[in-house]
Amino acid sequence: MSGTPNEACATCPAFNAGHLTRLGIDLSNVDFVVALAGNPNTGKSTVFNALTGLRQHTGNWPGKTVTRAEGGFAYSGKRFKIVDLPGTYSLLSTSADEEVARDFILFGKPDVTVIVVDATRLERNLNLVLQVLEITDKAVLCVNLIDEARRHKMEVDERTLARELGIPVVLAAARQREGIDQLLKSMFEVATGAVVCKPRRVQSIPPAVAKAVDRLTERVAGFFPGLPNARWVAMRLLEGDQRMIDAVESGELNTLLDQAQRPAENQQARVADTV
Amino acid sequence: MNSTFVLIVLLFLLVVLLGFVFWPGKGIVPRMLLARKEKSRAHLEDVLKHAYDCQYRSVACTVESIAGILQTSIGNASQLVTRLESMGLLERDGSALHLTSDGTSYALRIIRIHRLWERYLADETSVREADWHRYAERQEHLLSPADANALAARLSNPQVDPHGDPIPTATGEIPIVPGRLLTALEEGEFGRVVHIEDEPPEIYAQLVAEGLYPGLQLQMIQRRPDYVRFEAEGEEVLLATPLARQVSVTLIPEERRKRGPFATLTAVESGRAVVVTAISRACRGQQRRRIMDLGIVPGTRVTPELDSLTGNPRAYLVRGTLVALRKEQTDQIFVEPDAGVA
Amino acid sequence: MSTTDLKNPSSSPTASLLTEANALRWEMGEEYHDSLMEGIYEDAARIADRSVTRSGERRRFNLDRAIDHLVTSKWTGFPFMFLVLAVVFWLTVVGANVPSGLLADLLLDTVHPMLKGAMQSVGSPWWLTGVLIDGAYLAGAWVVSVMLPPMAIFFPMVTLLEDFGYLPRVAFNLDALYRRAGAHGRQALTMTMGFGCNAAGVVATRIIDSPRERLIAIITNNFSLCNGRWPTQILIASIFVGAMVPAHFAGLVAAGGVVVIAVLGVALSLVVSWSLSRSVLRGEASAFSLELPPYRPPRILQTLYTSLIDRTIIVLWRAVVFAVPAGIVIWLVGNVTIDGVTVAEHFVNWSNPFGLLIGLNGVILLAYIIAIPANEIVIPTVLMLTVLTSAINGVGAGAGVMFEADSTVATAEILRGGGWTALTGICLMLFSLLHNPCSTTIFTIYKETGSVKWTALATLLPLGMGFVVCFLVAQGWRLIAGG
Repeated sequence: MSGTPNEACATCPAFNAGHLTRLGIDLSNVDFVVALAGNPNTGKSTVFNALTGLRQHTGNWPGKTVTRAEGGFAYSGKRFKIVDLPGTYSLLSTSADEEVARDFILFGKPDVTVIVVDATRLERNLNLVLQVLEITDKAVLCVNLIDEARRHKMEVDERTLARELGIPVVLAAARQREGIDQLLKSMFEVATGAVVCKPRRVQSIPPAVAKAVDRLTERVAGFFPGLPNARWVAMRLLEGDQRMIDAVESGELNTLLDQAQRPAENQQARVADTV
Repeated sequence: MNSTFVLIVLLFLLVVLLGFVFWPGKGIVPRMLLARKEKSRAHLEDVLKHAYDCQYRSVACTVESIAGILQTSIGNASQLVTRLESMGLLERDGSALHLTSDGTSYALRIIRIHRLWERYLADETSVREADWHRYAERQEHLLSPADANALAARLSNPQVDPHGDPIPTATGEIPIVPGRLLTALEEGEFGRVVHIEDEPPEIYAQLVAEGLYPGLQLQMIQRRPDYVRFEAEGEEVLLATPLARQVSVTLIPEERRKRGPFATLTAVESGRAVVVTAISRACRGQQRRRIMDLGIVPGTRVTPELDSLTGNPRAYLVRGTLVALRKEQTDQIFVEPDAGVA
Repeated sequence: MSTTDLKNPSSSPTASLLTEANALRWEMGEEYHDSLMEGIYEDAARIADRSVTRSGERRRFNLDRAIDHLVTSKWTGFPFMFLVLAVVFWLTVVGANVPSGLLADLLLDTVHPMLKGAMQSVGSPWWLTGVLIDGAYLAGAWVVSVMLPPMAIFFPMVTLLEDFGYLPRVAFNLDALYRRAGAHGRQALTMTMGFGCNAAGVVATRIIDSPRERLIAIITNNFSLCNGRWPTQILIASIFVGAMVPAHFAGLVAAGGVVVIAVLGVALSLVVSWSLSRSVLRGEASAFSLELPPYRPPRILQTLYTSLIDRTIIVLWRAVVFAVPAGIVIWLVGNVTIDGVTVAEHFVNWSNPFGLLIGLNGVILLAYIIAIPANEIVIPTVLMLTVLTSAINGVGAGAGVMFEADSTVATAEILRGGGWTALTGICLMLFSLLHNPCSTTIFTIYKETGSVKWTALATLLPLGMGFVVCFLVAQGWRLIAGG
């Protein structure tokens, strides 16, 4: 169990103060909003339950979580609201689940998005991770089911993974509560701005398509200077996503811009009114 | 006394029955009246569509051609034309009929709904390909423009229907799709099918049966006055010229050509690793996306792992996960032997 | 008439951006999404390759695959599946007996007289006591005592199987059957849920993403013999089917009879799916992609808790809500008289000829009409009505009061006294399988489909099939038996 923070972290703001209080469904006066994304069957609900003390049950297939669940917890003196998004394989398709998930990560402006992946099926799960990182700068990767991976003689190197992805990576076995403390700390640091992510953006897009994406990204950035996820907006426009077309037409994208330019300290005041 | 009870029951039943027949909006009689009105509207809209089609193909639209397409009498057809003229949607020029600009945008609206609906059927339902056109013919008269826009939004604003025809935009613009007739493709050239004319339905069904679909890559082998012979997905197809004229293609430049031919994933024996080279364009919409979401894209290593009782479905090892697929899907996934293993 | 109702795009300053996006879409066509996915997966593979190391031989002994071969292979797959299902049903039926009895003792035999006494002591008129206590309360209590224990056993077990990873393998095994019927392999899962409760089964069809296959699954879910119908089947089978053979075979044959009905239900669901996909829901079997997740030891305590909260309580609550008004109606038809004869007797006498024609009787028809809210109360209602209409003395709890006989033998006596034969029993078993879904399920179907048309079809189709099947069986029986 990696229950206690190690020495390297003694200077972190979370040290000493960092203990978890589960708030269940008490969602009053929240300081930060956390989005919880992940493939179906990765133990996302277990992570949610471990953090909130609630007992959500979701099944093994997509389409099961029809409504998103919300719960609360307090950590290091801050109150968090955590939103459990539907488990999806991707964010690029047309299903209702995926729409809910991608729209919340973009327009819901969560202070940190936790992506839960299955350590034994990392490659497939990274598809979703890379898509989420196109949308948001503030993310933490929770590599869950690490105990199963060990049983299958697989080892996940979180340092390499963190370097490749540009976000904090936590190995966890949520069922045994292993790694939950570390996850909380990383969430706290990203939410408060103590740690700034430099998320990886997809690099291997085939040239013919990449040219079009780049061109449109430039145009989007021209209309909305400083938009942190202009490339995602461009990608969605190229898919014909109506929600994004509406957001462009109505100028809703400008609200995302404000968030990005505002300094991290001021965010706490704003978060309470999201969603 | 007992007969009073029966009488009350009978009276009550009678009232219910009368309500059932005449209830405004929902009763049988009002519904029949409405259906008749809608039928005549459907006829008017069909005339507009036909007029647009004539304009598009640069042939004359006449009362006779309308009667032919609607399978009605000349008298009926000319009545419809007169009504459309009085509505300002159609103009007469000698015996030829032309759409006014209002008529054109009305026709495009109907076409938009028709093609969107076909797209919906192809992408999200398992309705048979042969039924798409027929269902869309019915739906195009029922959906409002607002419904159509909502449907388009749900489908991520598709640009072409499953036959490759462009879908008019909500503002009534219709792009011209590049392409030439299949009969114009030179021997040895590679082409991609961009459009298959879906009328008349019998010929369309024949082309579908030959395995043609928009997106298909083919190479012309032989071109003769009365037939063409070409290779597609590893098989040779021979088409009589009248059939080949229903198909439009674009030239594929060298660098975008798919290599081939390849075996399908279905044919791979259990336990042998293969690499996906392409997913057939005949695998569309949701189905296609779901397959790719599960990690099957060109370049993915796939190993058949588990046979079910009948061998269909089979479970495949894809990127460390086990995924069950039906034969109908693996028929559309092309593979080559995994070089790393051989 | 023209495009006046549509937004003019050039009015917005960002229009040129959208126009450009559109032009680029035309250029790339369908290549775009494919290429993007290809690119993302290429990155994913590269990252995974760098950060995951596998120590030791990878393909030594793979426990998951070994289990997979056991549960899906030609020789062991199906027997294993039947074994698992048989154990689940056996545990449900046997395990529910004791708590059901305790609950019945408490709610029906203890609380009910107490409430009745309390009502009388505060001077409530007899009809008010009747409507509230003998009608509303009794129906609600009956549903709870009959439905709660089996559901509290069945749902957690199914959830455990689901969490372990076995249910997706069931869908994998059965997909071939459903594919031939033009349906989706996941329908096997929704049918399994339907064995617990059809309303829950209908909700579970959300896991089927193609609208046509989902409708088929919804319409045919009622052919899964739900928990509320098992007690009827078991009781009638032991009275009438078991009685046809020597006593020491009776139990086995009766159980066999119930299993035949359940299997018939599954077969009919396939037949109906097949006909639907060739008629009103025309289409071909579409894609079926299902991830077979790795096996994971389920967490038993948490599953018990969540499946109790998520499924059992919700389903039970809905059933009670629907059963309470039914209880009131049951009491009323047994007590309101016209010309000195109760409404129930009027209806029973009137519908009896039709009932007999299809091997049933007027009592059963009336019981099924008032028991639409919950199949659980069919047998108590049948008993009450039989006693009421055939003037058997000395049994029962009074007009309009549902009751259950002390033993199977006593029940058999009452039924035979009401003119029941083996044919009546068999037809009742068939009709119990083939009739309209309970009102909870009908309501759920309406909520899930949002369509009166499909709800009506799902309601009337099994009912019509029930009439036809019972009619044919009755006529055939009479022809052969000469009765």
